[in-house]
Amino acid sequence: MAGSLQRQPTVTPARRLAWRAGAVVTALAITTLFLALSGRDPRLLADLVVRSTVGSRFGLEDLALFLTPLLLTGAAVTVTGRIGVWNIGAEGQFYAGAIGATAIGLFLPGPAWLVLPLMAASGIACGMGWILVPALARAYAGVNEIITTLLLNFVAGLLTTYLAVGPWHDRVTGALASTGRLPVRIPEIWGVVHWGFPIALVIVLALAWLTTRTRWGYQITIGGANEQAARYAGIPVRARILGVMLLSGGLAALAGVFEVAGTVHRLQGGLANNFGYFGIVVAVLARGSCLNVLPAALLMAFILNAGIVLQTQQLTGSAVLAITGLVLFMIAIADELAHYQPVTVRPATVAPVTVGKEARP
Amino acid sequence: MIALLTGMLSTAVLAGGVLALAALGEVLAERVGVTNLGVEGLMSLGAVIAIITVVATPNPWLGLLAATMAGAAGGMVFAFATVIVRANQVLCGLAITFLGLGLSASIGHDYAGVPSPATFGRVPVPGLSSLPIIGPAFFGQNLPIYLIYLLLPALAHWVMFHTRHGLAMRAVGENPAAADAAGLPVTALRFWYVTLGAGLAGAAGGYLTLTYVPVWSEGLVAGRGWIALALVIFAGYRPFGATLSGLLFGLITALSFVGQARNWPIAPAFLNMLPYLGTIAFIIVPVVVWHRMRRIMAAPAALGVPYHRDVR
Repeated sequence: MAGSLQRQPTVTPARRLAWRAGAVVTALAITTLFLALSGRDPRLLADLVVRSTVGSRFGLEDLALFLTPLLLTGAAVTVTGRIGVWNIGAEGQFYAGAIGATAIGLFLPGPAWLVLPLMAASGIACGMGWILVPALARAYAGVNEIITTLLLNFVAGLLTTYLAVGPWHDRVTGALASTGRLPVRIPEIWGVVHWGFPIALVIVLALAWLTTRTRWGYQITIGGANEQAARYAGIPVRARILGVMLLSGGLAALAGVFEVAGTVHRLQGGLANNFGYFGIVVAVLARGSCLNVLPAALLMAFILNAGIVLQTQQLTGSAVLAITGLVLFMIAIADELAHYQPVTVRPATVAPVTVGKEARP
Repeated sequence: MIALLTGMLSTAVLAGGVLALAALGEVLAERVGVTNLGVEGLMSLGAVIAIITVVATPNPWLGLLAATMAGAAGGMVFAFATVIVRANQVLCGLAITFLGLGLSASIGHDYAGVPSPATFGRVPVPGLSSLPIIGPAFFGQNLPIYLIYLLLPALAHWVMFHTRHGLAMRAVGENPAAADAAGLPVTALRFWYVTLGAGLAGAAGGYLTLTYVPVWSEGLVAGRGWIALALVIFAGYRPFGATLSGLLFGLITALSFVGQARNWPIAPAFLNMLPYLGTIAFIIVPVVVWHRMRRIMAAPAALGVPYHRDVR
């Protein structure tokens, strides 16, 4: 078996990055092929995409607006991932946050400096409340959190539409399926980009510090790596799972608060725009590191922004979802393939006694 | 009152059939140790392919067949990634869901709002279908309903628990290393059962647009794939468990229709939440209330773990 492929237990970061870059390029190549086959000029589209994302001021502003919620939902899914839990319900917590913020914004009159923090607090509390039952069930009864968090997304979507069409419906302008315009808004700092963007950046950096440099973060990492060992070492794993999931719910909810108070200014059905689901993709790209959420969210924001351009070219918005799925699929495969390396086995005299199971650097 | 109950039960059987079929497919995949989180996307794909097929050839059986093939094709892609390459099952499942939802919306764009030109008609069983209340619900339905509620689960149950092949299949899901050592083809069993399960998910989507909701629109599947995934846990990974829990959730869905029809003082939005909230309650409550449930309804031991022959 000289020169055969062997699965290595660990992968160097550079090697993984190379495989992933290959995966993204492959996914984009397949997409281009599909576009070309459906009679569109890929070069023209690529040109359009570049000009309307990084190639113009409006494009950059849009990119920052996409980036804001993605940073937070991406971080939300990343922190739970560190303790071995999947929060697939960021979409629902996003809605819960938007609902909590809107409730304050619509019905509590007052100066912006007072109302905005209250909106954020209310939104975060709602997001935490939204994940509370799945978090308790996961931490104390071992109930699969993937399904419970996900199913609540549909409930949150129904609740949002109900509020926007029903009791909170805009009676002034008669806008369809939306609440009235919120009286306060997060101030802008650059074009349409509001303060939510730098705040989200700071939060992600703070989380990076919290998860890698503190005792709490260390307990989370150990709890995620080996629950039994962590418990034996005296780490309250269940309490940590509960805490991390609540934090995650709060982060996703804050994304909803920023979206409704900074970008859209009204609560309406479809507000979350799949940001919760795309947060999962960001977290997968980031591989558990909060610092990596920054470039991962940037890539995702770029894909979403490009999707807007594709929609002007008679492609449905769902094409973006398919492209994202393809990218995710290719990355999952690449992550596994990166483990395989060609090895040259030494002569059989030493082969039987090799301790081949050891982790190699 | 009688008419109401009759109508409710009929709706429950139809709505539950979709969930039962998808859940049965997932039982097959999870019994060999593979979690396929792509059910929602595969159902969506099946739903749109069924409509496109019956628009071309107005034969609902062809539509159902095409939906099954579409699901199986998606399942092969998933199985290639998770069983042969052995990539992360959660990621690949989510990717298949995104891909399925996005693709189905893209290819179904021109068919949005087009009512299905051919659906499965009712075929009442003479005599039985005139029984009060249960007659129309169980014996006055379309033909595939017997396939979903009787034939397929009975076949799956018999194969799984009464044949040597079924023992092999379960062994692969419980302990693939031991199964491999006993000479069982772990990879092949996993690959084909995942594909078959995905085919049933596609069929469930096709059944949805060919009977229950006979028109295509984006977001039509509306979380039914995820409910089916939860039902597998609730069903204790057993074929008839999947069927019965599908029927139970059909009942919950029908209840929300009844509420809307009878003008209960609850907003329809809240009634529509019932199936989702019910699912959550049904997977949390049994484990909390009765601890032995955990052992009885235990998942296959190797569920979600890729099998590498050379890594222990």
